[in-house]
Amino acid sequence: MRQYALRRLAYLPLIAALVSVITFFTLRMPWAGDPVTYMSTQNTTVEDQERLRKELGLDKPVAVQFGLWLGDVLRGDFGETFRGRQPVLDEVMRRFPATLEIMVLSLGFTVLFGVTFGVVSAVRQDSFADYGLRVFAVFGQSVPDFFLLILLIVLPSIWWNYSHPIGGHVSIFEDPIRNLRLYVPPTLLLAVGGSALMMRVTRSAMLEVLRQDYMRTARAKGLGAYAVIVRHGLRNALIPIITLAGNHLVALFFGAVILEQVFSINGLGQFFLTSAAQRDFPVMQFLVLYSALVVMGLNLVVDLSYALIDPRIKYS
Amino acid sequence: MATAAESLRSFDTVPRERPRLVRLARLARQHPTGVFGLVVIAGFVVLGIFGPAIAPYDPRELRTGGVLEGPSRAHPFGTNALGQDVLSRVIAGARISLIISFSAVFIGGSIGSFLGIVSGYYGRWVDYLIQRSGEAWAAFPSIVFYFMLITAFGQGVKTIIIAIAIGALFGGSRVLRGATMVEARSTYVEAARALGASEARIFFRHVLPNVLPLTVVLMSTSLGGAILAESALAFLGIGVEPGTPSWGIDMSGENLTVARLGYWHVVVFPGLAISLVVLGANLLGDALRDIWDPRLRR
Repeated sequence: MRQYALRRLAYLPLIAALVSVITFFTLRMPWAGDPVTYMSTQNTTVEDQERLRKELGLDKPVAVQFGLWLGDVLRGDFGETFRGRQPVLDEVMRRFPATLEIMVLSLGFTVLFGVTFGVVSAVRQDSFADYGLRVFAVFGQSVPDFFLLILLIVLPSIWWNYSHPIGGHVSIFEDPIRNLRLYVPPTLLLAVGGSALMMRVTRSAMLEVLRQDYMRTARAKGLGAYAVIVRHGLRNALIPIITLAGNHLVALFFGAVILEQVFSINGLGQFFLTSAAQRDFPVMQFLVLYSALVVMGLNLVVDLSYALIDPRIKYS
Repeated sequence: MATAAESLRSFDTVPRERPRLVRLARLARQHPTGVFGLVVIAGFVVLGIFGPAIAPYDPRELRTGGVLEGPSRAHPFGTNALGQDVLSRVIAGARISLIISFSAVFIGGSIGSFLGIVSGYYGRWVDYLIQRSGEAWAAFPSIVFYFMLITAFGQGVKTIIIAIAIGALFGGSRVLRGATMVEARSTYVEAARALGASEARIFFRHVLPNVLPLTVVLMSTSLGGAILAESALAFLGIGVEPGTPSWGIDMSGENLTVARLGYWHVVVFPGLAISLVVLGANLLGDALRDIWDPRLRR
């Protein structure tokens, strides 16, 4: 198990390098769009453009550019943004807390509601609650998340004259109440689609488990409902749930972009969108590399957790 | 004692296969939500094809009435900030959504099915290659992947279709791979092999006809997701060209700004249109999957 984890960890730099190479060269394809043109105005002369190109290091051959970039990265320097010439790392760190909070809250809500609804609906199969929750699941998977978020802006202001705050990140440590008022309602809505899917997966996994002989044994031993359903039941249904939670976190990268867009929150999602639109290469390279590392680390954690949940699974 | 003739006659009491229409009607009664989905998707297709002819106004025409009028008899869904008729834009928006979602699902679904069948039947390195690429793709945040495609192919309808098709492709290949593996290892295939049937005969006569209908199920189940993906990209302004009547675009930019000021009808109706069509696609997909193979239900 430990060896397996170490071997997987050893792959990380390799894949990170591969991702970086692909990103670097795709971005610099002749047809991919020239950052200098995006930064030019009507008054920019050709000489200005040439000077700018030189300043940004874009005049060198791509392979040389890559060598320089790689050298800097290995020393922990991720370069400066093309626009504004600020250190990429500083700009990222400034926006990081907002996006992290969006993802953590939304994933938390997804798992909380998805698993609870799924268990209830499986244990009370064909009851009124089960029926209602299944209807929720069908609708939850059909409504676009950005539509729900827009409704959060539009409807409360019509019905209760309450307008949800737009923009302006407040640190949760400075002003917890304002922070939660800003983030809880939208992340709750962002979790609707995910929890609908998670509910369906949990429900079918639980139904499978509930039919097993050991569940009858557990009940026959006189165990309480909680012990039977959670310790014996849910624990054995966890594998598909964990897999889905991992996939959902990756999907939340997109969700965070949408949420930040609707509520004008200056997070990493917005940063990625604007940098991509302006071909701000250093920012895009950093964010692609970063997200690849996060996702790979996450997959490793998910895979290792299988062995913790089910001792029959062994890695060697 | 029963004679041979009598026992032959008793076969008559076995109900004969009912006419096709009767069987369809019965299927419809068993899956009312599926019928609802089918009706919605049929409506979606009709609007996508004939939309501009049906719409009361030209979707791009400015000042069809007042600006930002609420729903009224002349404008059932109201007008937007440019005075365009929202109902006409919702109707016309079906087209781009239809084109993108259907082509993406068709392309991705058929390539994915092909790869899945090959990978499930042939196995070995082909299987390894396809499955590992699928995992690598799933591990990559979709928005990052999409931007790589934009830089490679440029922004436009083609790129959106490719992006969504790749998603459908890997999802589909997994399902068909599993189904093919089950069929290839079943007893009747073993029996055919024992009778001396060639590999090609086994594949084309026995395995393929049993897994191919799954392709249709697969395409219908990925349709909802494709429509959602297209509208989300349009909403972010990285999808179809600005100005195209598109549900996602109509819920962003200027329209979103005025919606924040209380003009809800501008964004709510396109949003309802997406939700309804995706709901229809999901219900239809679920019903088709149940009919084809109840074991796949989840």
